[in-house]
Amino acid sequence: MDIVLLSRLQFAITVFFHFIFVPLTLGLGAMVAYFELAYWKTQKEKWMKLAKFWGNLFKINFAFGIITGFAMTFQFGTNWGLYSEFMGDVFASPLALEALIAFFLEGTFFGIWLFTSHKKPLLKAVSMVLVSVGTMISALWIITANAFMQNPVGYEMAADGSKVILSNFVEVLTNPYLWNMLVHTLLAAYFLSAVFIVAISGYHLLKKSNADLFRTTMKIGIYLMIVTAILLPCLGMFYGHYIGGVQPVKAAAIEAVWESGAEKPMYLIQIPSDSRGENIVQLLGVPYIGSFLLTGDFRGEVTGLNDIAVEDRPPVAITFLSFRIMVTLGVVFILQALAGLYLVTKDPAMESSKAQKYMKLMLYSLPLPYIAIAFGWAVAEVGRQPWIVYGLFRTSEAVSGVPAIQILFSMALLVLFYLLLFVLFLYLMKRAVVAGPEEVREHA
Amino acid sequence: MLEYDFLINVWFILWCVIWAIYLVVDSFSLGAGMLAAFMPKNAGQLVQFAKSIGPFWSGNQVWLILAAGGTFAAFPLIFSKMFTWLYIPMMLLLIAIILRGICVELIYEDSNKNLQKVFQYGWAIGSLLITVVLGVAFTNFFRGMMIEANYVYAGTLLGLFNPHALLGALLFVLFFVTSGALWVAHKTTGDISGRCVNLAKKTSLAVAVVALLYILALFNTDGFAVNHNAYPVFYAVPLIAVVFALACIALCFKKSDKPFCAFVANLGTIFFGAATGVVTLYPYILKSAINPEYGVSIFAAASSPLTLTLMFFAALIFVPIVLVYQLWSYTRFKDKIPEGEY
Repeated sequence: MDIVLLSRLQFAITVFFHFIFVPLTLGLGAMVAYFELAYWKTQKEKWMKLAKFWGNLFKINFAFGIITGFAMTFQFGTNWGLYSEFMGDVFASPLALEALIAFFLEGTFFGIWLFTSHKKPLLKAVSMVLVSVGTMISALWIITANAFMQNPVGYEMAADGSKVILSNFVEVLTNPYLWNMLVHTLLAAYFLSAVFIVAISGYHLLKKSNADLFRTTMKIGIYLMIVTAILLPCLGMFYGHYIGGVQPVKAAAIEAVWESGAEKPMYLIQIPSDSRGENIVQLLGVPYIGSFLLTGDFRGEVTGLNDIAVEDRPPVAITFLSFRIMVTLGVVFILQALAGLYLVTKDPAMESSKAQKYMKLMLYSLPLPYIAIAFGWAVAEVGRQPWIVYGLFRTSEAVSGVPAIQILFSMALLVLFYLLLFVLFLYLMKRAVVAGPEEVREHA
Repeated sequence: MLEYDFLINVWFILWCVIWAIYLVVDSFSLGAGMLAAFMPKNAGQLVQFAKSIGPFWSGNQVWLILAAGGTFAAFPLIFSKMFTWLYIPMMLLLIAIILRGICVELIYEDSNKNLQKVFQYGWAIGSLLITVVLGVAFTNFFRGMMIEANYVYAGTLLGLFNPHALLGALLFVLFFVTSGALWVAHKTTGDISGRCVNLAKKTSLAVAVVALLYILALFNTDGFAVNHNAYPVFYAVPLIAVVFALACIALCFKKSDKPFCAFVANLGTIFFGAATGVVTLYPYILKSAINPEYGVSIFAAASSPLTLTLMFFAALIFVPIVLVYQLWSYTRFKDKIPEGEY
């Protein structure tokens, strides 16, 4: 067995599993912090109930999320040793800073928040605010590290070419890739959280339990959905133009453009084939849009994949399809958000039959933003191949010399373990959702 | 900019300090976890156990991430080799960390008694496994690993679990169990508190015996005492550890109504015990048992001056801030935890 493939597979499994929990932690944390602050300010019981109910869901999600992040730090050493040696000078600082600035804040104040009763609303609120701020700082640092892999800046090569050396930390922090990616990731996380809030609030409104509480969160959820669902593609467009500039090969794979040229159309239906180096099916071209998406200019010149050596291309079909799935879902999300906005404006109580249908639909739509985010990451990371650091260092050169059997063993163990954890997570979340605010017991 | 060699040495000291702090602060949550398997007689006492470390453990555990992240940032080569050569133990450690973390956070779920049992034993097994891997790993670092020229690793998985390393695992278990028992005794009231003190009396004695054997074996290992012999002042470090260990035993028996004193003494033993070991590593972190020159030295592995400077100032600013708010968090939860009704 190929240790590069095994290591990639293991990393993909662990990072996708971890990222099931990350977006909700980001969005729900901010909302619970808001409820805690509102309770401290107004002393109204409503806010305490909301903080308890959503805080309990946050707790379960956080417990799984933070701890599964260890897997990535470990694997940089266990499976990607040569990468760590090559990149450590630049790549490891953001990780260490993440622990120092973000994880301590999250870990310590999560404990304080969890064990402080609502009799001390200020301490409870401040703790949750700090946890929430911690999660965002954490996102900043980890994406700083990832952005360097996508678009290395602020470094120089060691004299012997054996590793990269940090030359300008400010450049690493002002990497435009970082800020494009961070905004996109955070918006996606808030959108996912909004759908979660709408779905769960809708579940309780359908059951007619605590309607006044869940009408509040339904409204918050729908407003958050509409804002993020619209911002995502608008800002995503600039992100796309930017990628077209710094990662032209990834960009060409995203649109499956094989032949270089200007004034490229975008084909609505396309099936690319890596082995043939062309699209098997290519229908319904929209003139100029292909050029516009990749360059920001309707007449822009696009580099085709056939002008790139085969060994420098990413897996085109996977990159292309992942992107199409993400974008298609993005369109669905806008429609869902608009429908929600229409319904909640017309009938704030959400009691009409249309509203009831909508809430059922949203409950079943809950997996969709998770799927969209997973495919979004697939575009970013599969599209980066064959490079582990774009243009600098190949994934195939980055692995540790570990016997394949050891990786198989660890992967089998992790997959089994993660499956059990996932079942446990779904069981606990479902139970906490169904129970409602009355049954949440505080630890303090 | 600070001088390069000076920075590297500072980072070696920081590396030692961060690891020692981690071992100290996680010792009592890991110890409480191991004891949770059999000490609580009912669900009420189990929750007492969990609540004694509930608000603190997740913040404490971050010291481990900082230790790993700090190794990566300051000495990438050492990070890479350490994790690659210890592949299977590290993967077991990873699974144990996740198991412990999830179980301890959710153990208060008491509407489903079977699930609570799962969390109880998951917490215990996770804690035991973390402790054992740490004990085995550090003993191998102190003894030196099978490193040949050009960083070729010749060790085997079974070789890592040599008798000395297993003794190290036992020592870590006893240290942490003592820590955990004294902490729970301090934080709780009622039946469990008294039983924990009684247990700590036995384990603190056992620590002394096993530690003596362990240390004798270490000083009998080739190359272990090089730094001690070059700078005899370092012999003071194990002596301080011995003083703390004796103080811990004495306080366990004499002041069993105030287990906090013995608890602090035990933390002192752990800190200076760890210091005894890491002093011998310099200038390596991964020593070679085959030929000292084959080890991975901090000078060969260090990051660039800019990275070391940057991370040094980050540590200088944030480590004290973290210490302040973590210590402050202990003052927020001063009340003793009674045995609840469950």
